[in-house]
Amino acid sequence: MAAPEIAFENVSHSFATPTGPMPVIDDVSFEVPKGTFTAVIGPSGCGKSTLLQMLAGLLRPSKGRVRQGGRDITAVNSTIGFIPQQSLLFPWYTLAQNVGLPLVFKNVPAAERAERVARILADVGLDGFGDHYPHQLSGGMQKRGSIARTLVYRPDVILMDEPFGALDAQTRMIMQDDLQGLVAAQGATVILVTHDITEAVLLADEVVVLGRRPARIIARVPIDLARPRNVFEPFAVPGFDDAYASVWQKFRAEVLS
Amino acid sequence: MKRLKRIAIGLLPGLVLLAFWEWASGRLIREIYVSRPSAIAVRLYELFATGEIIPHLVVTLQELVLGYIVGVLSGVIVGYWLGRSPRVAAVIEPYVMAFYGIPKIALAPLFIIWFGIGIGSKIALAGIMVFFLTFYNVYTGVRNVDREYANLALIMGAKERQLTRHVYLPAAAPFVLLGMRMAIPYSVIGVIVGEFASSTRGLGLFINQASSTYDPAGVFAGIVILLGFILVANFAAAWAERRLLRWRPQAATPNADI
Repeated sequence: MAAPEIAFENVSHSFATPTGPMPVIDDVSFEVPKGTFTAVIGPSGCGKSTLLQMLAGLLRPSKGRVRQGGRDITAVNSTIGFIPQQSLLFPWYTLAQNVGLPLVFKNVPAAERAERVARILADVGLDGFGDHYPHQLSGGMQKRGSIARTLVYRPDVILMDEPFGALDAQTRMIMQDDLQGLVAAQGATVILVTHDITEAVLLADEVVVLGRRPARIIARVPIDLARPRNVFEPFAVPGFDDAYASVWQKFRAEVLS
Repeated sequence: MKRLKRIAIGLLPGLVLLAFWEWASGRLIREIYVSRPSAIAVRLYELFATGEIIPHLVVTLQELVLGYIVGVLSGVIVGYWLGRSPRVAAVIEPYVMAFYGIPKIALAPLFIIWFGIGIGSKIALAGIMVFFLTFYNVYTGVRNVDREYANLALIMGAKERQLTRHVYLPAAAPFVLLGMRMAIPYSVIGVIVGEFASSTRGLGLFINQASSTYDPAGVFAGIVILLGFILVANFAAAWAERRLLRWRPQAATPNADI
């Protein structure tokens, strides 16, 4: 097994509230091996996103350590890519300017920048939309733009916070399918936060199931399905039923009751 | 053709008003109070033809432009800085708001003591009026920038300067430009009040002198010139807004489908 790229070690976190500290994460530990896809699933409001915020260095855990490549994360982590729930393309820039922005920050020369932006826009199917402003694009296209903006600088680690939650069902499937191919091509380590079991099972190598707040790890379920997986007909994927059932079994006690 | 028609319709109320003014003057109201448009036009022509108004115009224009620039620059800088430093802002904001409440016109005599009766005192007066408007808009604009945009830029590797240039300033631009537009008439107020209070040259002085010699056509001529300044400045501001805020969604722009 490859060395862990990401490690949560006994991480706990509380938020300060007017009525005292509110614990949201309780002693969570798991690792993510390099180049693998991990889905974190849990009931809404359980603190899943908080884990990503820690990896991004936007939040320090109250207790425990969050490590990447063997080093503690102590400042904003600009080695990762973050795909937020809303697309959050900057409305004042065109699509191409948005996608090129991380390359500007990383001092990539203009010629190379233009070339990489054009290539990634073609990869995500947004050829010819570079001069559009975000408000001129549909929700699905904005999401593609948001993904392109992350993939363009080829981060080793990509964090996704319910990236497809706001999309309609068909668009979501198409995006999941594209994402599968794009991420595999880059060989990135991915952590996806979601509350959709089907999505978690179809995309991930391992599903980490969290309980209700304060979140603890309920189970870690390895998903051993052959790739590429058919996201359009999940129930036609051999072994999908069993994988889904094993996640649901752990999850149901947290959702029902 | 359509455009011509629109312009004609737009001019109509103004022309009606002028015609009524011309007719009413000397009939409903004594001309000594309100002058009349034809007399004002003649007076304007004389003022420019003889060059009598030019020195006044140059001085006032200088005061306006410099006061506006000083006010906008300091307003943007202080507003941006306080907007980005919430802890400093929490301490300073009540003081700024207290000063904001002072009628700036009351400062005119003080500024004349400090900066003399030349253009310095007028620049200061216009500058401080413009400052507060710009400051307040920039401050509000920067504070309302969505924190998530900034976080995302940081994760993508933005340095502090890049954060300012690519996130905070463009996000606050609509507020900055609104403040700059609102500040235009205030700079005129500042300059004219300063010139009323004490000056050796300027449109304010010219208007004041015309008024004390019972020359209503002269007073109105001065006001017409000021109106011209404001119209030109507003036009420039609207043009800048259209150019800089092209990215903002217009109600008429339909969303593309996937």
